Amino acid sequence: MSSIPDAIVNQDEKFLADNAKRRKRLSLWFYFLCVAIALISVVILVVLMVSIWSQGQSRLSTDLLTRAHSELEIERSGMWPAILGSLFVCGTCAVVALPLGVGTAVFLEEFQPTNKLLRWIHGFVQLNISNLAGVPSIVYGLLGLTVFVYMFNVFGQIRVNESAGMEIMGYKHFYQVLTLEPGHVVFVPQSDPTKRQTTFDEPFRAVDPDGNPIEISIWTPGTPKPSDPAIRRQTVRAGAIGGTITERNWYYFRLPFDKSFLSGGLTLALVILPIIIISSQESLRGVPSSLREASMGLGATTWQTVRDVCLPAALPGIMTGSILAMGRAIGEAAPILVVMGAAVAKSSGPKHLMDDAVTMPVLIFNWAGRQQDEFKELSAAAIIVLLVILLLLNSTAIYIRHHVQKAQS
Amino acid sequence: MFLQITTRTMPLNRKRAIGCFALVSSLLIGMVGCGSKSESTSTETAGESNTAVAASNLTGTIKINGSSTVQPIANAVKEEFAKLYPDVTVNVDGKGTGNGFNLFQNKETDISDASRPIKPGEFEACKANGVEFIEIPVAYDGLTIVVHPKNDWVDTLTVEQLKQIFVGADAAKKWSDVDSSWPNETIEIFAPGTGSGTYDYFREVVIGKSEDALRNDMNLNEDDNVLVNGVAGNPYAIGFFGVAYYEESKDKLKAAKIVNPKDEKAYLPTPENIASGAYAPFSRPLFIYVSTASLPRAEVATFVSYFLENAPTLCERVGYVRLPDEIMQRGLKNLDEENAGTHYIDAEGNSRSGAVADIYQPENLTK
Repeated sequence: MSSIPDAIVNQDEKFLADNAKRRKRLSLWFYFLCVAIALISVVILVVLMVSIWSQGQSRLSTDLLTRAHSELEIERSGMWPAILGSLFVCGTCAVVALPLGVGTAVFLEEFQPTNKLLRWIHGFVQLNISNLAGVPSIVYGLLGLTVFVYMFNVFGQIRVNESAGMEIMGYKHFYQVLTLEPGHVVFVPQSDPTKRQTTFDEPFRAVDPDGNPIEISIWTPGTPKPSDPAIRRQTVRAGAIGGTITERNWYYFRLPFDKSFLSGGLTLALVILPIIIISSQESLRGVPSSLREASMGLGATTWQTVRDVCLPAALPGIMTGSILAMGRAIGEAAPILVVMGAAVAKSSGPKHLMDDAVTMPVLIFNWAGRQQDEFKELSAAAIIVLLVILLLLNSTAIYIRHHVQKAQS
Repeated sequence: MFLQITTRTMPLNRKRAIGCFALVSSLLIGMVGCGSKSESTSTETAGESNTAVAASNLTGTIKINGSSTVQPIANAVKEEFAKLYPDVTVNVDGKGTGNGFNLFQNKETDISDASRPIKPGEFEACKANGVEFIEIPVAYDGLTIVVHPKNDWVDTLTVEQLKQIFVGADAAKKWSDVDSSWPNETIEIFAPGTGSGTYDYFREVVIGKSEDALRNDMNLNEDDNVLVNGVAGNPYAIGFFGVAYYEESKDKLKAAKIVNPKDEKAYLPTPENIASGAYAPFSRPLFIYVSTASLPRAEVATFVSYFLENAPTLCERVGYVRLPDEIMQRGLKNLDEENAGTHYIDAEGNSRSGAVADIYQPENLTK
């Protein structure tokens, strides 16, 4: 008897009315509770934004957007190289992580295992991905350090004055020699790359920075020294040492990757890969199986079904997951610090594939810890810029998603 | 019906793929375009500011890592250097003195920044790997012991009193435990984290070389701003951190005078007292260690000479104290003559400690 609600047993009208009133009141309270809970996160966000805004708005200037970090003119410090660096790192990350992540999800969801071995592989991959999603990002940083920065030292170590690792393309080695004119150097193309230094005792042929050949003569201390700057620029001291410099094209490629933006991007790709896989899996699971069956029934292969039916239907969900993952990637500081180091004073974006980069989170971390008030305000301003860029990237992605959805329906 | 769906999605699919590709490629092109634009503007501005001096065509890459305390000085030198030599890339990282020496002994860097002299273990590792270096002090950093401005009983402190406050389980809990005429109130201590060079340095001065730690009921924080606000918020608090932070918050804090153990007089951590060595034992030299294997490279040699010539003025602009001219001259001489080795470790492998003016002498050089 007790399991039957009172309202059915007791048919007294007054009781029923009271009961209904009570239940409605309770429902109303629950509604208010939900609103309050929803508002808490909004309020916290607003408080955070207001405090950041009040600290940083005075430093929002074109200098902040166009100039580099400056130690001597703090008030004119900027974050342009960091914006570029972050875009490069996240670009690498997206290019690597999105295809890999979606591909893995398709494998796990659409290609059901048919024999024992495949089933085992499926289970193994699935288990690992679920585990990886919970690993702290600093661990990925250490992983990236051994895998991308050093590559287990398989391709040799990068050491100053000794070895530049295994260079593959886009480089030219020169010996750089100081001439008698202070601050002026000439370059000699290197023929033997293992010889990192050379001494010049005889007149030799060199090139200027534009690649034009010049004849260089030798001046021996004790003999009259030329005084004409033009001649001094073509004369080196006897016994002058030429050290190796490398001219790098934008496609300069070398193993291991060292502390390049490529290492950073690849490490971040590892960080967000599980998120992308899991969200893609969820959205593929959400595609009604009737669609798949219909496609198969018409004679389409699994690949055709995936390409033309499942992926288009799951695309909005996959994109939502990817947007969230990329948002995490752009704000990640810990693995970047481990992999790319804490240098902040770079004055430009990366110039070649193996170039290092400053990223926005690392710059903010550095500025926030400085003693000067200007740097503290700058870090707040940089946070605003980071949020705006994040918002811009997200809204672009959401716009595309909306477009895709509309085209589908 | 279904056939219709598939035929409809096919072209859309292709269109979408092309759209995505176009978007990604345009983004990439935009990024590369922006990159090259910033390069040209930066060289332009560098060129403009140096119309008097013919812009040098020196090029190359210099790798620096080490103390985050020295990083601002190296950054400042790099910034000025880049105006004269726009084509030289100087990468200044700041992973900490210990990590810096690790990379240095593995030949991964040309120059190692350090907020303390090299340790015997690191020196041995350098020797084992065939890394020779020139040790050059570049600036002073002072440790400031600070109290609340309303604290009228602490004017001078001796190292002995600091030991009573900071060391051991039986350290003074109340001010009256240190001096009976001081108030009967609990001391609250704010100090940098145990991983920082500042903590190490303070511990070494107050305790000496033993491995003892400072008392463990202090408020430790890596963020010096937290320390400043902590001491400023409690009239019975005491704390210590780098002199640069004190300079920035002079109005909120009061620096204690420290009694120099040698002449028994108390000195404030003013730039003059730090430079003259009177503010002892709480001023420390900051160093750069230059690999001799890198010195023949024109860009490294030029950069290091530039560093030494400009360190006194530039270090002041980023909040540190310049070294006396005499010590800078000794550093220049060592660089010039390529006198490799350290002054802080004797032939038996024990580290020396004391004022930089006494130790950084030619006869103390150990190869």
